[in-house]
Amino acid sequence: MRHALLAAALLGALWAALSGQNTPAPIHFAYRPIDFRLDSSETPQRHAPETMAGGVAVFDYNNDGHPDIFFTNGADIRTLKKTSPKYSDRLFENDGHGNFKDVTERAGLAGSGFDNGVAIGDYDNDGFEDIFVAGVHGNRLYHNEGNGTFKDVTHQAGLDKPDAQYGPLWSVAGAWVDVNNDGLLDLFVVNYLAWDVNTEPPCEASPGQLDYCHPKFYKPTPNQLFLNNGDGTFRDVSAEAGIRAHLGKGMGAGVADYDLDGWMDIFVTNDKLHNSLFHNKGGGKFEEVAFETGVALADNGEFISGMGLDFRDLDNDGYPDIAFVALENETFPLFRNLGKGGFADITQASGMTRLSTPMAGYSPTIADFDNDGWKDLFVTRGHVQSLGYATHVQIEQPNTVFRNLGGMKFQALTAEAGLAAQPPSRHRGSAIGDLNGDGRLDVVVTALSAPAELWINDSPAASHWIEFRLQGTKSNRDGIGARIKLVAGGKAQYNQVSFSAGYASSSAGPTHFGLGPNKSADLVEIRWPSGIVQQLGNVTADQVLKVTEPLK
Amino acid sequence: MTLRAPRTWRSLSGCRLGTRAETRPLVVLLLAAASLCAATDPKAAAEADQALALAHEGKYELAIPHYRAAIALDPKLPGIDLNLGLAYFKLNRLSQAATAFERAAKADPSSFQARVLLGMAYYGSRKFAPAAANLKLASAQQPDNTELRFKLAQSYLWSKQYPQAIAEFRFLLARNPDSAPVHMLLGEVLDAANQPEQATAEFEAAAKAGPREPEVHWGLGYVYWKQKRYDDARREFQAELANQPQHAQALAYLGDSEMHADQSQAADHLKQALKLDPKLRLAHLDLGIVLAASGDNAAAESHFREAIRLDPKRPDAHYRLGRLLRSLGRTEDAEAEFAKVKELGEEQPQPPLLTVKP
Repeated sequence: MRHALLAAALLGALWAALSGQNTPAPIHFAYRPIDFRLDSSETPQRHAPETMAGGVAVFDYNNDGHPDIFFTNGADIRTLKKTSPKYSDRLFENDGHGNFKDVTERAGLAGSGFDNGVAIGDYDNDGFEDIFVAGVHGNRLYHNEGNGTFKDVTHQAGLDKPDAQYGPLWSVAGAWVDVNNDGLLDLFVVNYLAWDVNTEPPCEASPGQLDYCHPKFYKPTPNQLFLNNGDGTFRDVSAEAGIRAHLGKGMGAGVADYDLDGWMDIFVTNDKLHNSLFHNKGGGKFEEVAFETGVALADNGEFISGMGLDFRDLDNDGYPDIAFVALENETFPLFRNLGKGGFADITQASGMTRLSTPMAGYSPTIADFDNDGWKDLFVTRGHVQSLGYATHVQIEQPNTVFRNLGGMKFQALTAEAGLAAQPPSRHRGSAIGDLNGDGRLDVVVTALSAPAELWINDSPAASHWIEFRLQGTKSNRDGIGARIKLVAGGKAQYNQVSFSAGYASSSAGPTHFGLGPNKSADLVEIRWPSGIVQQLGNVTADQVLKVTEPLK
Repeated sequence: MTLRAPRTWRSLSGCRLGTRAETRPLVVLLLAAASLCAATDPKAAAEADQALALAHEGKYELAIPHYRAAIALDPKLPGIDLNLGLAYFKLNRLSQAATAFERAAKADPSSFQARVLLGMAYYGSRKFAPAAANLKLASAQQPDNTELRFKLAQSYLWSKQYPQAIAEFRFLLARNPDSAPVHMLLGEVLDAANQPEQATAEFEAAAKAGPREPEVHWGLGYVYWKQKRYDDARREFQAELANQPQHAQALAYLGDSEMHADQSQAADHLKQALKLDPKLRLAHLDLGIVLAASGDNAAAESHFREAIRLDPKRPDAHYRLGRLLRSLGRTEDAEAEFAKVKELGEEQPQPPLLTVKP
């Protein structure tokens, strides 16, 4: 009898092996809880901001080498005040092993308003990362004092003024970027739409059942560009820079130099409107070129619900590509940078149409999660409508990672990647970083009225990796805008330093490269925003390498 | 886009549910002569008699003035509004029929005939919400009248009362699980209610139950197409074309599905579709894309412009035309098209499910 059982077990194992049941997916995550619950003050009236909250940042706030986590949080929807501790923004300090301690109170980061997005950047080049919080009718700039605390400098910085024409704006996200290459990070603020709790129209999903309104029922608003004066203050240059004239319903901003002319450009997704691509002409001037470059709309020419985005090189040709996400039946569009100032919609050709059509996404992040040398795409998923709308669409969804198979082909991994280990949810923002120092990128995800999720990367391959923590001297200290070329095993990869990725979120860790089987990089070339080009040879893998910008 | 074509799958009188019992008439339409005999005003009775005689001969136009004269003399003449309504109904003057039936139903709220006819008058005039309300009251009196409940289900569907429509179609399917039309209509409801997986299952059941049924493969192909399952959609459109070779929409959507695989094949089908129906906007748009890709820019421009003419409120053709013109160096013309797209961004049509509460 025992022999028979043993034989059956062996047969079962053999079958499992043959059928691939035990073959782990190349990218895999394990769930870890963290004591944060996003509370956007959901009400039966379904006010729009309630469904849009959830930015998160991964950054090293105390320079101990371990990435920490900052969550934005909501507020009472009628007063836009944090009337209860449940609405507190939260800062969690990492002990280096992926264990987190709440240090919000000590840091002074609980916040006061309805906060939506977060952007990390060292705007005063003092070596400590500062925090911009984008909120509904009020933004905040927190200066990192370097002693574990932050100071609210919004007023001193000149970032507390309502718009003269539109009044208080609803900012969903921000991006730090040095638009004029003066070595100071400027601030691009993404504004969604004109909203007022008192005048918002009630929208019905079905008779008697209110739900979040379609964006068409709100007026568009302008995005903003604040130039860093270098003295702790900022100047709104939106109009003179050519930004303000292009109204939109912004959901995300990505920064990259798409035409490699040395000036950082800005791509903005809009909700049910065409996207904007602000081409930086230098001298603080931008031209909006989304239509000319082929990124205004997906190839089908329809307005879709553009959500978060990432703007990085996916095909290792040195030109930043664009990935953004939308709702079900709208696909997650991919625009391939053709290198001649234009883009091609490769959503269908890449397989992404088929894979993403049933999905609703919020926050896409481009990064190499299996360290094979090809950047993948992690997407937080969940629908914008309320749970009451579930008879019409799938509101709560699991997250999905799209593995880059090379050649701009992708494979969707959800349960296979361990991402069904938690119940589906209305996921929102996401940020990445190596939380436990094992060389694999982990993901922090927020979800509406639900606990945040830590997805610890336990992908099986023992591939090599390297991360670069840049320190600008002539360029901005974070090195935002620096382009890094890495050659290993005869293959080149590219990335740029940019902390803006996903929806309302910021991933401000060192710039990560997967090296596959290569134990070193043959060549690393860094083109700093200052124009300085720095080369490093034979760089050992599996380390976080600090690189300081040379003087010339 | 919603499934529009299936609405014409069955005319009012042509519904086939598969069993003899189910094909019985909604209601036996008898002229209410006996009731009219109860009239007390002799002049009114005489007018009514004359009207009935004319109606029996099918001379409804001539009967109507006599009915109206009888009503003027005795508005409470039993059955008179029902018969006047019937005359209007026969003449397809449905709004006037509904008004007469409303009076009849008000006079006798328990009248099955009045309720059914009122419901059908609204149904025929495409006022599906009041049609559903009245047919529901009628079906409460005859819950086993499947023809009546089929009309009720359709009325729910087209007045966007999806949960009620789903319940009615499921009731009908319980009676006749192999009815391809009911599976199709249930698929249409589920599709309209944004439940693509269940909608697909119903269309697949319809195709299995009645593979030769007109429109069944078209409907299934369309739900596949909406889900961007282009390979599956292509197969179903081809199957529909095997049943109905002159199905212009199937040809157009076959062409569109082929756009995602082999554009050279798409062109033939798109051209065939346009030969059958030159007003197919999607086919013009797609053909423009194919022709632009092959360098036939003048023809491409012409098709884009025709697509715009057919529906100037959609951004896609403007966008495509703008890109074509820009590639041809006609920057100003291109800018004008791009400006139109931006303008349309603020004028988008109402989404199907979310509307501002009145």
